[in-house]
Amino acid sequence: MDIFLVWVDIFRNWLTAGIGVPALAAEIFIKIILVLIVIVFVCCNLIVLVWLERKFSAFYAMRRGPNRLGPAGFFQFPVDIVKMLAKEDIIPKAADLPVFKTASICAFITAILAWAVIPLGKGLVLEDLNIGIFYFIAIGSTGTIAFIMAGFGSNNKYSLLGGMRTAAQMISYEIPMAFSLLGVVMLTGSLNLSDINDAQRNVWFVFPQILAFLCYFISSIAETNRAPLDLSEGEQELVAGYFLEYSGIRYSLFMVAEYAHLVAVSAIASIMFLGGWNPLFGLTFIPGFVWMMLKIYFMIFLFMWMRWTFPRVRIENLMHFGWKVLIPVSLLNIFLTSIGLYVFQAITG
Amino acid sequence: MYGTGLLKGLSITIRHFFEKKITQQYPEERPVLPKRFRGSFNLTPEKCTACGLCVKACPNDIISIDTFRDENNKRKLSKYRMNMASCLYCGFCVEACPQGALYTTQEFENTVYFRQDLDRVLYEYEPTAQENREEGSEA
Repeated sequence: MDIFLVWVDIFRNWLTAGIGVPALAAEIFIKIILVLIVIVFVCCNLIVLVWLERKFSAFYAMRRGPNRLGPAGFFQFPVDIVKMLAKEDIIPKAADLPVFKTASICAFITAILAWAVIPLGKGLVLEDLNIGIFYFIAIGSTGTIAFIMAGFGSNNKYSLLGGMRTAAQMISYEIPMAFSLLGVVMLTGSLNLSDINDAQRNVWFVFPQILAFLCYFISSIAETNRAPLDLSEGEQELVAGYFLEYSGIRYSLFMVAEYAHLVAVSAIASIMFLGGWNPLFGLTFIPGFVWMMLKIYFMIFLFMWMRWTFPRVRIENLMHFGWKVLIPVSLLNIFLTSIGLYVFQAITG
Repeated sequence: MYGTGLLKGLSITIRHFFEKKITQQYPEERPVLPKRFRGSFNLTPEKCTACGLCVKACPNDIISIDTFRDENNKRKLSKYRMNMASCLYCGFCVEACPQGALYTTQEFENTVYFRQDLDRVLYEYEPTAQENREEGSEA
């Protein structure tokens, strides 16, 4: 039993037995608190990620990165937050107000919603859905609508082009992402993330599913709109894409959504391929939560490594790669996996 | 082979990741300047004859000097001003100085908080009443 679950149980007992709250009300109250904890957890990750991104980008360029405020420049983040909050919220006169205003919130909410099914340890999940991975893919697809809304709502042709570009990219890369996850689902016969994690007690799925892992990795870079596949943003040569007209807090919501999505994608990668909270080398005295975080941050390190190594690809190359390479390869992986499964069943009888 | 170029790039960046950082931590670490580095200007007032050649040499007309005549009717310098806002650091003034009174220093931190601080006074001397018989000024 995990220490966090023990705390939740103690709290529930205190609510029902200690001060006599009805069981249903206590359950709802606890759920609300847990949802808030998850949101705070995601935001804490964001703070670390923004700092890490700066530090890593500096390290790859043989610089030192932020080093003025606090240890290794870590306390840069309150300054950034205050700066973002204090900025003027500029809304163009011709913008479609309701769409423009809800778009940034939509982006943030869809990024947070994915966290409902992601377990961070045994039982450490808001809702252990039996179709968890399916839910994750579905919510990831709905994230696209926020970007189209931002593009349309800004009433600016460059924003619109950016929104269309993002939608095309994200929808194209949804397909190889879902197909690559399908290989793992075939091996375990379950869509539940906790079951998938438990199935990797002996061998991580990254070894039998190396093709799927590569497909998932590349398509999740495109999904999270990170360099080298960040055609939706393209900060150097394309004018910031769909969030061109956003500023201040609304702009930062898009950034928050991007990083929340990055952590979610890394968490899914660690659960599906890197063995989730199963310990490495039998080091069971380290709690599963710590293993999970280590694996998530390993994945994030890989993403950042990619980002600060490769130059951005052109949009048509991106689409060609998605449709002509990634989808056939992920289909090939499904084919090979099914043959492997049949052979395995034939051997074991 | 497909992908070898990508792997090569990745290996290069990860090596740089762990390498020693090459940036100079400027305010703590002072830069080692070359011997002939030309920063801002300074004046040795004892050597200056107030001839005004530096004023004429300056392409932007940023130097202005005030002079007076002392008891021996000798022209002397009372004020030497340089408007650093318009200085292009060509060093013609130093080249023009026949006495070697004007020289460049290694000082490169020329930032000031207020605009009027850019109007730098290199030398100032208030002549006494006896000395102050005739005052000349060259812009």
